[in-house]
Amino acid sequence: MIPLEHYLYVAGALFAIGTLGFVVRRNLLVQLMSLELLLNAVNLTLVAFNRQHQDDHTGQLFAFFVIAVAAAEAAVGLAIVLALYRLRRSVRSDEATLLKN
Amino acid sequence: MGILLATSPLLIVALGALLVMLVEAFAPKLQRGELAWATAVTLVGGALASASVWMVGTVGIPGAEALAPYLLTDRFALFFDFTICVGAALAALLAGGYLPEHGIERGEFYVLLLWSTLGAMMLAGAGDLLSLFIGLETLSLGVYAMTAFRRASPRSTEAAMKYFLLGSFAAALLLYGGALLYGATGHTDLAGIGQRIAEGTASPVLLLVATALIVAGLAFKVSAVPFHAWTPDAYEGAPTPATAFMAVVVKSAAFAMMLRVLTVALGAKATSSWGAGWSTVLAPIAVATMTYANLVAGRQSSVKRMLAYSSIAHAGYVLVGVAATVRSSGAEAQAAVLFYLLAYTVSTAGAFGALVLAGSRGAESVSYEDLAGLGRRHPAVALPFALFLFSLAGVPPTAGFFGKFYLFRAAMYAEGSFRWLVVIALLNSVVGAYYYLRVLVFMYMREPAPGAPIAKPMKSAYVTAALVACALLVLALGLAPGASLDLALLAPARG
Amino acid sequence: MLATYAPLFLLFAVAAVLVLGLFFATPLLGAKVPPNAEKMLPFECGAETTGSRHVKLSVKFYMTAILFVVFDVEAIFIYPWAIQFRTLGWVGLATMTGFLATLALALVYCWKKGALEWEH
Repeated sequence: MIPLEHYLYVAGALFAIGTLGFVVRRNLLVQLMSLELLLNAVNLTLVAFNRQHQDDHTGQLFAFFVIAVAAAEAAVGLAIVLALYRLRRSVRSDEATLLKN
Repeated sequence: MGILLATSPLLIVALGALLVMLVEAFAPKLQRGELAWATAVTLVGGALASASVWMVGTVGIPGAEALAPYLLTDRFALFFDFTICVGAALAALLAGGYLPEHGIERGEFYVLLLWSTLGAMMLAGAGDLLSLFIGLETLSLGVYAMTAFRRASPRSTEAAMKYFLLGSFAAALLLYGGALLYGATGHTDLAGIGQRIAEGTASPVLLLVATALIVAGLAFKVSAVPFHAWTPDAYEGAPTPATAFMAVVVKSAAFAMMLRVLTVALGAKATSSWGAGWSTVLAPIAVATMTYANLVAGRQSSVKRMLAYSSIAHAGYVLVGVAATVRSSGAEAQAAVLFYLLAYTVSTAGAFGALVLAGSRGAESVSYEDLAGLGRRHPAVALPFALFLFSLAGVPPTAGFFGKFYLFRAAMYAEGSFRWLVVIALLNSVVGAYYYLRVLVFMYMREPAPGAPIAKPMKSAYVTAALVACALLVLALGLAPGASLDLALLAPARG
Repeated sequence: MLATYAPLFLLFAVAAVLVLGLFFATPLLGAKVPPNAEKMLPFECGAETTGSRHVKLSVKFYMTAILFVVFDVEAIFIYPWAIQFRTLGWVGLATMTGFLATLALALVYCWKKGALEWEH
């Protein structure tokens, strides 16, 4: 049986990788993927903790909702990226510089 | 039956949203203006329903607790439901004038607006991390789409992209913090979490990391410095009614979420006391937010962007109140926050409304120069604009003055010293008055430069109606503020 | 503990030997043909390569795919309800009916808006 900590370390690492990818990469699609990674790290955390609190399935159910919301979020995000691509022919976030102080 | 009555504000908005959505899809020939009316009427219905449920008293309704803790129907939620519905109705009226004028008349805007409002109301009533997250995303996803509504404009799309990326990132931070809280306490309902933390059995390391993540996520959502970077861009790029919606509805809902999470779940001594908890972090964030926003707002050439920074500054003032809620006299500070948000909602919606009214197709008014001489050319537009700016600056006898007055008074008398915070906030209000008055100087004391493009005011019954409503509310809250504050005092956040 | 994973490690070892062995063996065993234009082409199951590397996909694929994902994911909410069908009883059935009705309305909306049109 794998101890709870190991799951948490993996989830923490996933979250860190997601954050790093989100901050460092300038390709919008990669940034969207990093966001998905963040949410999946949360899912792993929730499901792992659910084993510790076994009197109900709150953690697992929560993960279901996160999955559903992640899909909706991806749909909206991709739609925005697509709209931006149509106008700019680029999916790079560092080329979005119209709005500045 | 009790449950239907208790949740009637949400049900009305949800049914209205479904109806508007289907009507818009099946009757594309329908005048879009009718959709604006339908949306506004639905939202006013939601506001009235929350007022009636308030009067009946949710304690007296059998079955009202059936959805707890996922959806609480306490007075805290009802007060925010009212504020949110009023703000959203005003934004819908602005859209009714703005969208046709600027040739982006598509009915989806109203559908998105209604669903987002429902998400905001869910957020105000959420007593569980699960419903909190769903409410937050329902609110946010709609607003991202509303920001991107002007598809042909690179600025609008770019604003939506930035807003989406940072907003989703903030939601992920908040969610990870929530997951860790669940791990530490075994509960996802805020009251249960708070109880476990008070018992002192939860792992302090997990709690610390979770609190940090949650405070960061919340600060993103209320656009507090240093998590504010998305705000000016998103506000400037979005169509003005969407900006107004963001400034009033999203902000109110985010503060409702913040208050509920911080006081109910993280309100125990271990997480909220000086030296170890969020209150320590919140005070410097409030100072940074007010000061930074006020200094930068004065240097903007676009009025829309100035109003964006002004909304950040107001978030800073509200944070002073939120930081004070943890003290023994927290109830007063919290009531002051509720009143402030209501006053801020009507003033800000009015200011954006006046900005909408001052422009027309191809001659949208965004910069200070656009407004030059407006007071002489179009006094009917300039006068309400001046009123809302006075209210935002906090000049008596407007709603904004009493908002600030109650807020600072509550922080002043809060146990433990918040005086220095109040002094900084007062200094900031003075700095803030500068850029609001600068608009007045341009409107009343400058003439447009010869040959410069002049913003022509549009004509719209919707926008006019919204402005009249805002002006009445600003004056009513300014002349008789005590009544609303007493109501706010009855609405503490519970689990 | 480690013995449990012995077959797995054996599998890895066999895979490594096979792959590396074949990789280095082919140049030794195969016939020596001088490189020509035909030989330098990317190998694509023997078929002639056509078109550029960047294939433009139509937006209609995107619309269909994203609608599929959004609706598909909602199905996970039916699963826990189905497991607890008897415990949840009529209230559960009514709730799930409401949920599915809302989804159906959303589908009707998509349909009416023309998001499901393949040809246009």
